[in-house]
Amino acid sequence: MESNWAAENLQTIRTLMERSAVYRRALAPLMLFAGTLGVAAAAIGLWFHLDSMRAFGTLWLGTAVVVVAGALLITRRQAFKDQEPFWSPPTRRIAQALLPPLIAGMCLGVVFTGVDLEGGFTVLLALLWVLFYGCGLHAAGFFAPRGVKLLGWSFIACACVLLLAAAFRKSDLNLKAHWLMGFFFGGLHLAYGAYLYLTGTGKNAT
Amino acid sequence: MNPEPYLQLNRVIHEKGRLAIMSMLAASPELSFTELRDALAMTDGNLTTHIRALQQEGYVAVAKSFQNRRPLTTCSLTTSGRKAFADYINLLERIVQQNRPK
Repeated sequence: MESNWAAENLQTIRTLMERSAVYRRALAPLMLFAGTLGVAAAAIGLWFHLDSMRAFGTLWLGTAVVVVAGALLITRRQAFKDQEPFWSPPTRRIAQALLPPLIAGMCLGVVFTGVDLEGGFTVLLALLWVLFYGCGLHAAGFFAPRGVKLLGWSFIACACVLLLAAAFRKSDLNLKAHWLMGFFFGGLHLAYGAYLYLTGTGKNAT
Repeated sequence: MNPEPYLQLNRVIHEKGRLAIMSMLAASPELSFTELRDALAMTDGNLTTHIRALQQEGYVAVAKSFQNRRPLTTCSLTTSGRKAFADYINLLERIVQQNRPK
């Protein structure tokens, strides 16, 4: 009897300690913001036929910078509203998990854009970005609600399938890179943001 | 059954609300008052009372500052708080092991 009580107490302590390390601020506004900008950037790319590597890379690297800056501002506003420190330990952990793949992806983007390769490389760059971003989300998912890890896996799985398909066909996928970017960075973010709102997890999770 | 471990349990930490606060703080360098309140679904008054009790025992340090001209209260475990919490957990584990069927 007492042993059960002690074991239950230990389990409660474990759960609370895990919860303490989890990022609890609302993710829905961040997802909707990133998704909206993703769709808008894809629309701009398609509308103005920004198909060269240089135009494609510049558009999407610029969008990434705006999304990161906007996400930081939203997070900062949420922290001030809730009277919490902005750079809290969970926020720090999420940033540390996201940074390596984001920096690697950005660096790759700068190289591809600088070299200005022709012939299907925009699709390759888009898929590599999706892959890197998926890895970042998956790593961040260890300190965030469960859905983030699943979203990361979705990005990774789709990118791997499409990259393998491209490799075995020995040609690009004949897809517009802007469609890919719009779907992954726009559509999937919007879908996840809408899911968070509809399921009520759009508010700060506890 | 040896009743000794039960008698050694730290009564300050053993209370449900205070144990929850100590557990949260043990996994994080510091947490704000609102983070603790929201995560543990406590009222302001309840949380203040528990934190004050832990502070009086020297287990929790409270720091008050300003962020964006708004007051910010953060709590963290002191060295003795961390040790008391570790001792409490060790004792719980001993109780579980002692009562485990052989």
